[in-house]
Amino acid sequence: MYKSKSKAMLLLPWLLVLPVVILRAFTTVYPIITTVTDSFFDIRLLAGKNEFCGFSNYVKMFRDPKVLISISFTVIFVLVSMFFHLLLGVLLALALNMKFKGQRFLRTIVLIPWAMPSVVAGMAAKWAFNNDYGLINDLIRRIIPSFNYNWLIYRGSARAAVIAVDLWKDLPFFAILVLSNLQFISSDIYEAAKVDGASTWQSFTQITLPLIAKGVATLCIPFTLWRLTSFDLVYSMTSGGPGEDTALIAYRITTEAFTNLNIGYASAMAVVLFLIMLAFSLLNMKLTNSKKFET
Amino acid sequence: MGNSTGKKLNGNKVRSGVIHWVIFAIIAFVVLMPVYWIFISSITPPGELFKSPIDYLPDHPTLESYQFLVSNVGLLDKIKNTVIIIGVTLLVGTFICILGAYGFYRFSYKKGINLAFLFIVATMLIPEVVTARPLYEFMKKVGLFDTYPGLIMLYISSIVPFTILILRGFVGEIPMVLEEAAAIDGAGFWQRMWYVILPLMKPAIATVCIINFINCLNNFFTPLYYSNHIQVLSVAIVELPLRDNMYGVPWDLTSAMGWIILMPIILFVAIFEKQIMDGIMAGGVKA
Repeated sequence: MYKSKSKAMLLLPWLLVLPVVILRAFTTVYPIITTVTDSFFDIRLLAGKNEFCGFSNYVKMFRDPKVLISISFTVIFVLVSMFFHLLLGVLLALALNMKFKGQRFLRTIVLIPWAMPSVVAGMAAKWAFNNDYGLINDLIRRIIPSFNYNWLIYRGSARAAVIAVDLWKDLPFFAILVLSNLQFISSDIYEAAKVDGASTWQSFTQITLPLIAKGVATLCIPFTLWRLTSFDLVYSMTSGGPGEDTALIAYRITTEAFTNLNIGYASAMAVVLFLIMLAFSLLNMKLTNSKKFET
Repeated sequence: MGNSTGKKLNGNKVRSGVIHWVIFAIIAFVVLMPVYWIFISSITPPGELFKSPIDYLPDHPTLESYQFLVSNVGLLDKIKNTVIIIGVTLLVGTFICILGAYGFYRFSYKKGINLAFLFIVATMLIPEVVTARPLYEFMKKVGLFDTYPGLIMLYISSIVPFTILILRGFVGEIPMVLEEAAAIDGAGFWQRMWYVILPLMKPAIATVCIINFINCLNNFFTPLYYSNHIQVLSVAIVELPLRDNMYGVPWDLTSAMGWIILMPIILFVAIFEKQIMDGIMAGGVKA
């Protein structure tokens, strides 16, 4: 079809893709290389320092109590949030799949948390968890009138609150993706099972779960990655507080880079985070490949 | 069929109907209650906001908080900034992504092009926090920091991988014969693009634009760290002034600003529910 062998025609493919390739290269490759080199330097803008320091940023990181708190909360955040993503996400997907008159309305409203900026949810949550005037305690007090609790000033409850808001905002998105897996299951299978006398519970555990298990497992990888770099929510809701207890690693890195101006140190943390994500992504590729292999 | 089984079936139907609506009510409450609370807070006079229990039907609804946002916080300016940045991002971003997606699919037999595509997909995995500081220094050095072109460039970059991924899939569904027929009739590349490809890709482009609109509106990191004076709505909401309350959250203004952001989102979601669902399921979203 491309009869003209002119130079323009040969260049055409590259002309088409270059704008996006250059843009992405410029915003990702170049900065990543800089981050990696910076991580071997002791760059502190406030102290006016900029000298090579080998791996000392990396060593320092694992002895810094602030970073250790961030790492431990990030791990907790990812594990707990993903556990409930799986549990409640599948349940919500089943609910969204119910055949009844309210289906379209239900599917529409669950898109609202997904579509709103995390900072809006975070700012609202900061006030919702306020002891005196917040929505949460107000609702609880309608059942237990004497209830009093200041969620965001204690470590455990502040962490639980952050995870709860993360789930409120993100579960619908997860559920919709689970739903797309559910929709591939033909209703014939359920009919057949019903004829054979299977209960609803049995057809859920024997048919639904095995059929969506692989798809849902694959979903977990990107959702885990997004949790690892979660920043907006904590920035707006708790500013990492109380103390450093809810400072997720992405928040810690950004604070070091933009507030404390410890560029080298922040870069080292960023590199470690990136390597962890890379490992996860390779795992992801392996999983998706094996899926392709089977079908 | 016997009468009794008919009744039993009916009974089952009623029961599952009730269960459906109970689940419906629980989900609707959990999702909508906070949204409703933000709305009524935004129209409650600030003085009545700080009291317990919460009055879910404010006695003296007022737009005072909105007026304050307009006259003292520069709300209209921030709306203007948001609209300009997202508008140009969608126009230019979609344009270069259509070209890119077409190129990546039609010439995927070329090794270099295919590698370039894999590169675009791989960059999806690079988190903003890792690239932030060097990019910030660079933007400052070349004078793009705190400018519309600079912000728009970063916004476009953030939507590229997802958009390319989805659109490339759709180019694949356009039969080659159509293009060949047009070529035989003497249509050049741009004519084929405009008269054959674009019309066929309209639904896909619409879906991608809808989801990118939401992603751009949600973008917080980019406008927070790469601009200063040009403030968009998502940043403005975390930097509102405290009026006369001592609770650390200017909830009167925050709820009003929150509702300004939520209103278009709710409308959008209500109108485009189907396209959004399709888009999410097609690509697993998030730029």
